[in-house]
Amino acid sequence: MFIVMNMKRDVSQKPRTVIEAVAASTSTTLKTHSSPVHATRLLKHRPLPGSTRGPRIIWGALAANSLLPDFVSSLILAAFFYVGCSSLHATEVIPPKPDRYFNDYAHVVSAEAGLRFNEQLAQLERDNSAQIVVAVFPKMQTDSSIDDYTRRIAQAWDIGQKQTQNGVALFVFIADRKMFIQTAHGVEGALPDATCFDITERHIKPEFRAGNYERGLAIGIDLIGQALRGEYKGTGKTVKEGEGPHNSPGPFIIFFIIFLFFIINIARRRGKKGYRYSGLGGPFMGGWSSGSGGGGWSSGSDGGGFSGFSGGGGGGFGGGGAGSGW
Amino acid sequence: MNKFAIGCGGLVVILIFVLVVGGLALAGIYNRLVKLQQGVDQSWAQVQNVYQRRADLIPNLVNTVAGAANFEKSTLVEVTNARASVGRVQLDPSKAPTDAAQLQQFQAAQGQLSSALSRLLVVSENYPDLKANQNFLSLQAQLEGSENRISVERGNFNTAVQNYNTAVRSFPANFVAGMFGFAPRPFFNAQPGADKAPTVNFNFGSPSPAPAASASP
Repeated sequence: MFIVMNMKRDVSQKPRTVIEAVAASTSTTLKTHSSPVHATRLLKHRPLPGSTRGPRIIWGALAANSLLPDFVSSLILAAFFYVGCSSLHATEVIPPKPDRYFNDYAHVVSAEAGLRFNEQLAQLERDNSAQIVVAVFPKMQTDSSIDDYTRRIAQAWDIGQKQTQNGVALFVFIADRKMFIQTAHGVEGALPDATCFDITERHIKPEFRAGNYERGLAIGIDLIGQALRGEYKGTGKTVKEGEGPHNSPGPFIIFFIIFLFFIINIARRRGKKGYRYSGLGGPFMGGWSSGSGGGGWSSGSDGGGFSGFSGGGGGGFGGGGAGSGW
Repeated sequence: MNKFAIGCGGLVVILIFVLVVGGLALAGIYNRLVKLQQGVDQSWAQVQNVYQRRADLIPNLVNTVAGAANFEKSTLVEVTNARASVGRVQLDPSKAPTDAAQLQQFQAAQGQLSSALSRLLVVSENYPDLKANQNFLSLQAQLEGSENRISVERGNFNTAVQNYNTAVRSFPANFVAGMFGFAPRPFFNAQPGADKAPTVNFNFGSPSPAPAASASP
């Protein structure tokens, strides 16, 4: 598998230089085999710069076959990579459930764009109940393939509603230059694999290749949203919003602390008569409670700045979806 | 006399109690086994489902590929034949196979189709007009999705069988299982050779005019 990925990396990332390399290397190949047919064949077999896609991950196992020097070099590269992996023995990490729809762990998108995407995705859930989660990671933390790994993440995050299993997740791994759209059973009709592939390959990939992550993600989110429009009926609320008001213990803790201050104050006043403590206690208490109760805590923890995500217990990710590398 | 009667009555009560408790325990175990078996059958239905989904894609794929200019015919024939042999090994979709040889046969036929398909797609990499064909690309994406689904459902099936077999074989339940004929079920083995990297032949020296470097299975 590593060999495959490496070969593809070589082929898809630098088609022009590869072709030049073929041109350079064919002379040596010709010397040994002395047949002019092979030279043209070799050139023809490389993906042309204009072709819409490079070799694919699973099926391209034997793809980059006709170019010997390129193959050997990638084999060596793969060997190094493999040795490095096995010595480190990277264990798989399934990231914890996110609290937003749009999660940019790799910091490739500006903060306000991130909030905008998040609102857009939250609105999608309000409108048609389908949950779409986008997660951009710096790199993959697994030894498995991207389709297998992202499927298990999506499953673990409970994306989608329980009854309809209508979750979608777009995963992007910046360092691996790979992305994948995972679809649960309920959206496989609206978002068949071919559509997912079309979205990643023809719409997101060109933007990512040019380094426009923000634009690529915006297009991807738009297209996924369009595909799901009208498929389900929303309740006007997200799962998080339906969970009822303010489950966080923040205000209770604040009340408790205020209460404690009162008790202490009263106790002190009783204990030390004549010691003017209340003058200090009053304003201090007032300032503290308004500062933390009003501004800091509640807005930070619950929905003041962004629409929070909470999985609907969907699951049903059975290997649907498609992805591309760029 | 009176004491004896009371003793007898007590014994009967105790006996009834033991029978009731034993019966309830038996029923509990039996029901659990039935539930696990249902789980196995259900996941088998899913397995059949996703394999069928793949088989349904093939006629369309073959037609699309055959339309490409002078596409290598042997690969296409191979896929068609493999598809036909898969059709011959039809197992009951509502009940998981009880016979290991039967499942083995099914797996072998599907495995043959898998390798024929992957060869077809590998060869197709050498046809630029095919790779620019939107229909072919979408078929390829669907086929990959099918393969992913197959591996997921096979995994689910194996998990279900494993749970069931463990229950059938472990201590108190194995008596119940023996009484009512709950036999352990076979499960999917890893594909032979799946742990090995594919080998590539470079037929540079061969005089055959085949357009592609042929891949060994």
